[in-house]
Amino acid sequence: MRVLELRNVSLTYPQSRFEKKKKMIPSKIGPIDLEFNDSEIVGIIGRNGSGKSTLLRIMGGVFPPDEGQIRLSGTISLLAGVGVGFNKNLTGLENTYLYASLMGWRRREIESKLDDIINFSELGHHFERPIKTYSSGMKARLGISVATAFKPDILLIDEVLGVGDASFRKKSERRVKEMIAGSGTVIIVSHSQNFMLELCDRIILMEAGEIVDVGDPAEMYKIYRKILHDDSSE
Amino acid sequence: MVASGNASRLKRMWSKKKMQNAPFALFAENYEHRELISRLIRRDLDSRFRAPLLGYSWAIIEPLLLALVYSFVFGIIVGRSDPLYPAIVMIGVIGWSLFSRCMTSTTKTLTSNASLFQFTKIPKSVFAISNMLTNLLLSFISLFALIPFIYLNDLSLNTGYILLPIYLFLLAITGTAIGLLIAPAAVRIPDLVNIIQFLSRVGFFLSPVMWTYQMLSSKFGTGDYLILAHLNPVIVPITKMRDIILNQNSDIPDFGLYIFGGTVLFFYLAGTMIFHVKSSKMVVGL
Repeated sequence: MRVLELRNVSLTYPQSRFEKKKKMIPSKIGPIDLEFNDSEIVGIIGRNGSGKSTLLRIMGGVFPPDEGQIRLSGTISLLAGVGVGFNKNLTGLENTYLYASLMGWRRREIESKLDDIINFSELGHHFERPIKTYSSGMKARLGISVATAFKPDILLIDEVLGVGDASFRKKSERRVKEMIAGSGTVIIVSHSQNFMLELCDRIILMEAGEIVDVGDPAEMYKIYRKILHDDSSE
Repeated sequence: MVASGNASRLKRMWSKKKMQNAPFALFAENYEHRELISRLIRRDLDSRFRAPLLGYSWAIIEPLLLALVYSFVFGIIVGRSDPLYPAIVMIGVIGWSLFSRCMTSTTKTLTSNASLFQFTKIPKSVFAISNMLTNLLLSFISLFALIPFIYLNDLSLNTGYILLPIYLFLLAITGTAIGLLIAPAAVRIPDLVNIIQFLSRVGFFLSPVMWTYQMLSSKFGTGDYLILAHLNPVIVPITKMRDIILNQNSDIPDFGLYIFGGTVLFFYLAGTMIFHVKSSKMVVGL
């Protein structure tokens, strides 16, 4: 059953005065046509600046496309920018409510997840303290605990596994896997090849804002490596 | 790629934003996100008042001290010995500060929340409205600083006091609407923020903070300059607030009220329409 489709979607990044003056070519995504089905896990790979995160933001409703149409069924949520929106003067608990509200969740939904967030973050009594007293690792733990507590119908994940220390990163990876298992459809951007090969049903390969190919994960990585190799040998 | 099936069940994510819906859409989208707005207000209040020893009292202390300083300086320079002058100045300070803060912070709303707009799809106006409500609340609290002046000058309380929140709201919504009108353009032309901050400083002297409506009308009579002066959207609400609190009547002519109403309506319609259509696009790649 189809849950998300993009038809002829494109977006051109606005240029700064400097870029216009230098007559630089504006960054552009698309035109893109994609379809996603219920319960599938799709990865997006490509080099830095290839448009993976922008595509995810277009699908998540964060950036409006210039052209084309996006249609979906159910709730969609973007897991990115973990901890953005935290206020240093507020406690962990207050920031949990604030951050989850910014992600679009309501008080009742947040309250139902509170115990889970407290337990997973391992912050204990620090949870009642202002986060200006937290280390960067503690802030990251709180961020990922809140961000991964909610399960939408379509989950978009953008590189959120690199936070915290090594043991928390492993724990986060397990958590994201659980989240993926509990969500309907998952579209994920990650530079972790093992993670992508293990989880994804298919992979979208992007280059310079366009889709190069979509298909079997191992096959897509083979093409990706070839692109990287061709570029380095030039 | 994927077998097609239930295409009709899918709903469009983006529909073309219609300008004419903007004045109502602002209310609808902010009502829908009222929980988040209340959290943002609490966040702003806590960040400002949680650390200081005197906490929320600063909302009263600040305009009180400002009014005392202004009246002291102007009492000496202009030679005003009116016992009500500190109260006149304080009402002006409260009204002008509310308008000015709403206008300047809303002008920056898209850039100052840029990092949030890269991952959340909540309406951009939510931040401007929460900021407006925070300032409105603080200004309302500041009015309590007038109690000593009301008591010392034996001023009577009257039913007009119920209109005070309405005049404060008009100041706040006008400042916010001007900010909404400029905010999308300020993303690409940062100079606009500086221009607005400069105008805000100049506007302090062009607005009835240290002078009164009576001074204005006695200077310009009923000429064109008086008509033009009413284009300043803070003149009518500040004067009306003074009339209520100080038990006086400034006799604002009908044309002044119409110009004020028209100016507020114009900025509200223009601000909400431009922001509604342009704001989502402007945050791309910030």
